[in-house]
Amino acid sequence: MSDPADIVDIDVCGLEPPEPMERVLDALSTLQPGQRLRVLIPREPFPLYRILDNNGYLHETTSRQDYLYEVLIWQK
Amino acid sequence: MQRLLSFEQTPPLSVPLRFFLTAPVFAALAGALLLWFGPEALQSRWSPATLALTHLLTLGFLTMCMLGALLQILPVVAGIEVPGGSVTASGVHTLLAAGTITLVVAFLTASPLLFKLALPLLLGAFGWLLTALTGRVWRANANPMLAAIRLALAALGVTAVLGAILASAFAWSLSLPLAVLTDIHASWGLLGWLALLVAGVAYQVVPMFQVTPVYPQWMTRYYAWSVFALLAAWSAAAATAAGSWWFLLLSAGLAGACAALSLSTFYLLWKRKRPKPDPTTMFWRSALGSLLAAALLWTAGAVLPGLAEAPAYPLALGVLVIAGFGGSVVNGMLYKIVPFLVWYHLQHNAELGCAKAPNVKQILRDTDAQRQFWLHLAALLLLLAATMLPQWLARIAAVAYMLSAAMLWHNLLKAARVFREKSAAGAAAAATAPRKT
Repeated sequence: MSDPADIVDIDVCGLEPPEPMERVLDALSTLQPGQRLRVLIPREPFPLYRILDNNGYLHETTSRQDYLYEVLIWQK
Repeated sequence: MQRLLSFEQTPPLSVPLRFFLTAPVFAALAGALLLWFGPEALQSRWSPATLALTHLLTLGFLTMCMLGALLQILPVVAGIEVPGGSVTASGVHTLLAAGTITLVVAFLTASPLLFKLALPLLLGAFGWLLTALTGRVWRANANPMLAAIRLALAALGVTAVLGAILASAFAWSLSLPLAVLTDIHASWGLLGWLALLVAGVAYQVVPMFQVTPVYPQWMTRYYAWSVFALLAAWSAAAATAAGSWWFLLLSAGLAGACAALSLSTFYLLWKRKRPKPDPTTMFWRSALGSLLAAALLWTAGAVLPGLAEAPAYPLALGVLVIAGFGGSVVNGMLYKIVPFLVWYHLQHNAELGCAKAPNVKQILRDTDAQRQFWLHLAALLLLLAATMLPQWLARIAAVAYMLSAAMLWHNLLKAARVFREKSAAGAAAAATAPRKT
């Protein structure tokens, strides 16, 4: 794994769909090479996974103790 | 956990959309039927026109949308892929639409042959759906939404079997206790299939789309099971000891369960983080208000037998639950589901890549949805009043209901047209632009 400094964090809790997905896609379009995006979200974003796959991204999802999910996203 | 899901697993937009674009046509047909028969359709719950009207709404409008939404929401919210994908969806859709029309004409003509035809069509639709979904839904990791969906699907099975028994009685002139079987069939359909699916989906979509706090744990853990158990006990009591004190107690329990769903959701909407209601919030309010009114009316009917004997009483209950509660929730949810689907599929379009799709509010404007809400509310109030004054109001309510359904259809078609136009524009741009490497 690379340096945590290469991780860009966004929190999309409390937003109405599809705003969380739009924020994620916006953040991905400004991501620098080698950087990864970490998204904090209140539910598992199944529709996002498909868009990510379709556009050459990989992801790893972790569910947290506080019922929130962290999705780490990086370019293939 | 790492997963790679292929886009191929996402059914094309036309798959869920066919359910949502067919449903308003059935609602408009219900309005047309009421216009044609006028007061006759609102004089007794047992008249052929009333039975036809009820099934146009429950099967053609509500179940049509609920099945489309279920096939859409299971992959999106629970990660469950529906076996057979597009084939299952189009098969169930065709059988349900054909079965509903056949059943409605069977009621209107009292034709045993048509009841015999409607049976395999509708049993085919529900049998196919339940066979395709049951294994996946039961094996998936349970969350409160999925637990309620499981019970709603079980209730759909019970409703379908009871409906099939009733249709067989008409088809082969069997001598069965029709009145009590109809009550049990309607209760499983409206309080089981409809209310449990709405509750389960509400656990997810009310906090998600209305930006409210989440439902309390006692509700998400125990509500669906309690309603299911109450329904089973109530059915046994209705069949063996209608009118006994425990039958009344179980009826009160079910009315209390309806009131609990209504009041807890009202409370969450009151705690909403956004001050301005959107059109779906207004549809939720009219649904919850209707459900609460139905619970109060049901309780009043149990306490005052004179009220329950009035012909308008069961009709008013039916209007409140079917057009008021179910009709409002489904109508309001369509304004979230359809723009989201259009947006998602545009976003997903390979030609567009990660380019931004238009905003959901541009796909379906709030003002259009709001205008239809007021028409829907007017139609609902007129229908309710028409149960008491059918001679005066039946046909006016029918026209209002048809207009509301037509406007819903028009709004949804407009959203679907945005998809077609933007996809065509995206494809043209991709054809002229140099390919991304």
